[in-house]
Parts: sequence; C-alpha cells; structure tokens
Amino acid sequence: MKTKNRETGRAGEAIAARHLEKKGYTILEKNFSNKFGEIDIIAKDKNILVFVEVKTKIGEDFGLPEEMITPGKLWRVRNMATMYLQGESAPCRIDVVAIVLGATNEVLRLTHYENVI
Amino acid sequence: MLVKINSVANVGLETVAVDVEVDVAEKGFPGFTIVGLASKAVEEARERVKTAITNSGFDFPPKKITVNLAPADLPKDGAAYDLPIAVGVLVASGQIELPKGNNYFYGELSLDGTLRPTRGILLLALFATKKKGTTIFVPAPSAAEASVVSDVTVIPVPMLADLVRHVAGEKSISPLPHTRYEIADDEGSIDFDLKEIAGQEQAKRALVIAAAGGHNVLMWGPPGTGKTMLARALPGILPPLTDSEALEVTRIFSISGLLPSGVALIKKRSFRAPHHGVSAAGVIGGGTNPLPGEVSLAHLGVLFLDEMPEFPRGVLESLRQPMEDGEVEIVRVAGHVRYPASFTLVAAINPCPCGYLGHPRRECKCTDKQIAKYRHRISGPILDRIDLTVNVAPVEVEKLSLTTQHTEISLTSKEAKKAVNAARALQAKRFEGTRLYTNSQMRNREVKALGMLTPEAENFLKLAAEKYDFSARSYMRLIKVARTIADLAAEKMILPVHMAEALQYKQLA
Repeated sequence: MKTKNRETGRAGEAIAARHLEKKGYTILEKNFSNKFGEIDIIAKDKNILVFVEVKTKIGEDFGLPEEMITPGKLWRVRNMATMYLQGESAPCRIDVVAIVLGATNEVLRLTHYENVI
Repeated sequence: MLVKINSVANVGLETVAVDVEVDVAEKGFPGFTIVGLASKAVEEARERVKTAITNSGFDFPPKKITVNLAPADLPKDGAAYDLPIAVGVLVASGQIELPKGNNYFYGELSLDGTLRPTRGILLLALFATKKKGTTIFVPAPSAAEASVVSDVTVIPVPMLADLVRHVAGEKSISPLPHTRYEIADDEGSIDFDLKEIAGQEQAKRALVIAAAGGHNVLMWGPPGTGKTMLARALPGILPPLTDSEALEVTRIFSISGLLPSGVALIKKRSFRAPHHGVSAAGVIGGGTNPLPGEVSLAHLGVLFLDEMPEFPRGVLESLRQPMEDGEVEIVRVAGHVRYPASFTLVAAINPCPCGYLGHPRRECKCTDKQIAKYRHRISGPILDRIDLTVNVAPVEVEKLSLTTQHTEISLTSKEAKKAVNAARALQAKRFEGTRLYTNSQMRNREVKALGMLTPEAENFLKLAAEKYDFSARSYMRLIKVARTIADLAAEKMILPVHMAEALQYKQLA
C-alpha cells in the first residue's frame, strides 16, 4: 500500500511538471530533499522562483487533495525554500497543484493554486 | 460572495452587536479561517460548522472561506457564533437566501446540525427590542428565555435543516408565543417552616425584619441551636420576585448558563450557600471573560455564610463593595464588567472555636488567645455592615419534647410571609419610580427624604449613638432597620418604640 501511494505521488508530480512546462515555467529541480523534508518541484515562472507542492489522490471518496495540505505542510515547504535559497534573496512564491486521478491513472482534475501563503 | 449576518456578543450584562462577515471566494487555495479576536471556542466553530453543514445535507464549499467577527477589537468567546457562521456560509455559497428584514442569529451547533442550548438568549432578546420588527433565530432548547420579551419575534430553531426550510418558505417554524409574567406565590415552595424550629422567637423576629427590609443578619450561638435551620427558613418567608426583579435575576442566570432548559423566568428568590472553601473569584465573579459569582447569583435573594469565620479573610473582605453598593465591578485583561449584587447576607458564627463560650451549662475549652484569634477573623468593617445581630441561645429541653403539649404558639412561615408582603408593599409604594426595592437599599439621600423619623425617635438614637460610639454608617443603618420595623407595624412615622427595637439588634460590643 505504501509503495502504491508513493507511485501515485510520483505519477502526480510528473503530471504537474508537464502542466507547468506547458504553462511556460522552467523546471529547475524535482524532489529537492534533505533530512528536513522535500520540495516536489522547483520551477521558474519568468523571473519568480516557484516552490510547488503537489498532492495527488485517486478518486475523491476519501476527501479532496486540497484537504490534505495542512498549514504545517506548507510551513515545511517554506522552511525548505529558505534552505534552498541559502540566505540569498530572490522573488519567490509557493504554489500548490492538486490532482485527482481515476482508476487507471487518468487525470480527472488538476487545479493549480498560485501563491497560497 | 460576501454576506453580513447579525449576531451579538455579551460582555458581562452588556450586549454588543457583532457583524459576522462571511466571504466565500472563487479564487484562492481552499481553507476556512476565522478572524476577529476569536477565542478557542470560536476557533473550533470551524469544525462544528463544516460538519453540521455536511450532515444537514448541504454542501460545504471547497473554496477559500474567510469569516470576520466585527468589531475586531472586542474579544469573542463562546459557541454562539456557530449558527451565524453556518448561515453565512450557506448564503455566501448561494445555497439559501437570507430572509428580508432585521434578523439576528445566535446559537451553538452540534455535529449533526442540531442547535444546542446556548447562554445569554434573554440578553439577545432584550437587545433586539431596541429596533422594531426584529426577528431572532435561537436554539429551540433555550428559546423559552426569550418568550417573556415582547416586541420581538422569536424563531426557535431545532435543526439547521429546519432553518433552511423556514427561510426557503417550504416549511415555516412558528414563532414562539409570548408568555406573560405571573406571580406564583405557592406555599408548597416552603422547604423549612419557621414553626418547625423550637423556640428562638427573637431570631425569628429578626428574620422577618430582614425579609421585609432586605437587611443583613448575623446569628451567633453554640452548635446545634438552629442557626442553619433558621437561615434555610428565610427563603420561605421572602416575597416572590416582582416583574422587573425577575428579569434582573434571570439575566444573571442566563449569562451564567444556569437557567434550566425550558424555564422562561426565575420567579423564586435565590438562596446561595457557598461552602467556606470557596475562592474570592467564586464569590465575587471572575474568569478571563468574567462570569457572575455567588454574590450576583444571590442578587435580590439570600447569601448564607455558614461558619463565617472559616471563610478566607480575602473572601470576606471582598464582600464589602457589593454589600455597600449593591453591585460588583470585576476587572480582567479582557475588560471590566459590572454585575448587580444586591443580596441579603445571613451569617452564622459560633461564639468561639469550641462553640460553648457563654453556654449556660457547658464549659468552654478555648484559651483566651484562641477566642481572640477566632473573633479577629471577621473584621470590623464587615460587622459594621450587618444590621441585625441575634443570639441564638441553646433551647430548653422542655421545648423540644415531642409528646408534651406546647402552650405557646410559634410564628408560622405563612403568617411571617403575610407580614413581610405587607411591609414590602409599603416599600414598593415609597420607592415608586426609583430603582430601589427595599429599605436597606436606601442611600443617605433617601433616608433623609423618606425615612419619616419623629424627633423623639431621633433623640433616642442620638443618645445611644453617643453612648456606644456608633459609626456614621451604623447611624444610618439603624434608621433603615427602624423604618422596616415601622413598616411591619404599618406606621407612617418611625416612633421611639421602633428605634428601640432596632437598637436591640445592634451588636454593641
């Protein structure tokens, strides 16, 4: 079960990356991680650095993917972003991509929320 | 979409209008935030509202929802904002339409959408009368509180879904009928009859005077002579609450959340007997958002302190302000509130720690030091505020006998109540148009204007005052007691005989 969730997550992250590229973002890094946590996607929208948290769910029976993004999780992304910047200041923001997949991994819904904090 | 729902906040006994602004935004990351100095209970409304809406068969929109409780600088506490927030979310998400007119929503939600009993409904109803044609939507279990208030339409809401059907015009909830206040003076409410207490005629007389004029009483005597029983008999001879008095008392109970469900008005005078382990905050009132204490719950009733010297000194001293002013002012970080606290103090004390000092047959085992220490626990300023002091002496065995016929006939509670009611009627006439109810509440101004003291009676008082060095307060208090005794005798003027009786109850030592 755990591995299945991970697979879903990876699949979702790939879908999100493709979506962002289509929107004209440049993907800088995927799964930037250290012992404190992970940022799913780091991209550049024109000159703004964007840290993206991707949440994927199969079906909406157990709640919306949006519900799984807690303030605590966003704080972790924020702290990770600070670490990524290593003290340098740059215009940046945090986005959330919520994806709902069907039984055969087809995309039922993809919502991109910009600047969520 | 942004909607504004009317609700209220109760700060002490003051009611302040609160605008519950609910915004359901189309854009933005879904979430539910409440701002406006909300306490933990208000913050938790998020989960209650969310679940109640879903369980009532409506959609909780997965959108960015922001709730603002204005004015933003007033601390909000309690669960009463559940209903206005839920209605706001339903209206702002386009699921229902707000009824026209001036509407107020107030009440706590349970997870299944049922409205739970909520404190302070009466205060909301009284507030709503300020504007004509106001409708209030309140939880059905506590709606009865509001039924005594005229000029306001009260809609008792059992469930959130019922409210939605009501505003949609599918199935309307009928407004609560207005109930009129009726004075119910039933004898069945007497727990202890005065005639059940053997002897103690002087103490009984003192209680009648106390009941008639609202004076404070101190009873002292050895253990087991009937001090506690006498105090318990006092509520039985007190007159029922009048219309405006009942409303005042009910307001206090409403804000404390002590009104039983379905009770519209409190008609019986309260008898509060806190244990001597009580804290000062428990007596005076307190808490982050200060709630009324025992003195306010005993408003227009009786506060009984059994074994008075056992109470912490701080607690006793804190009684000084309410005993003098008839109200308490509580100051906390959240603000300061004022509660009425005009009560009759009944105190019972033993003459010494072992209780037998001055007993005709038993020996006292206390040392002088112990007695001095015991007496020292009650300060002069407190004793100075007590109008009637009576010695409750041990009862002779002959009077206790169950088989011998007693020749003397004891005063019954029924007779006492009749005398008290007559005296109160005279006082009601005297204080018509003022905010006073009893002689004991008179201030110096009223004593001068309405005391009706004969020169002979005053001369008598002057002589006693000089001899025993009465304080200015005692002087005025004696006139008030004499006024009540004159009222009991149905005399227009205070005669020397009334003053003489008043002096009997003054502790001279």
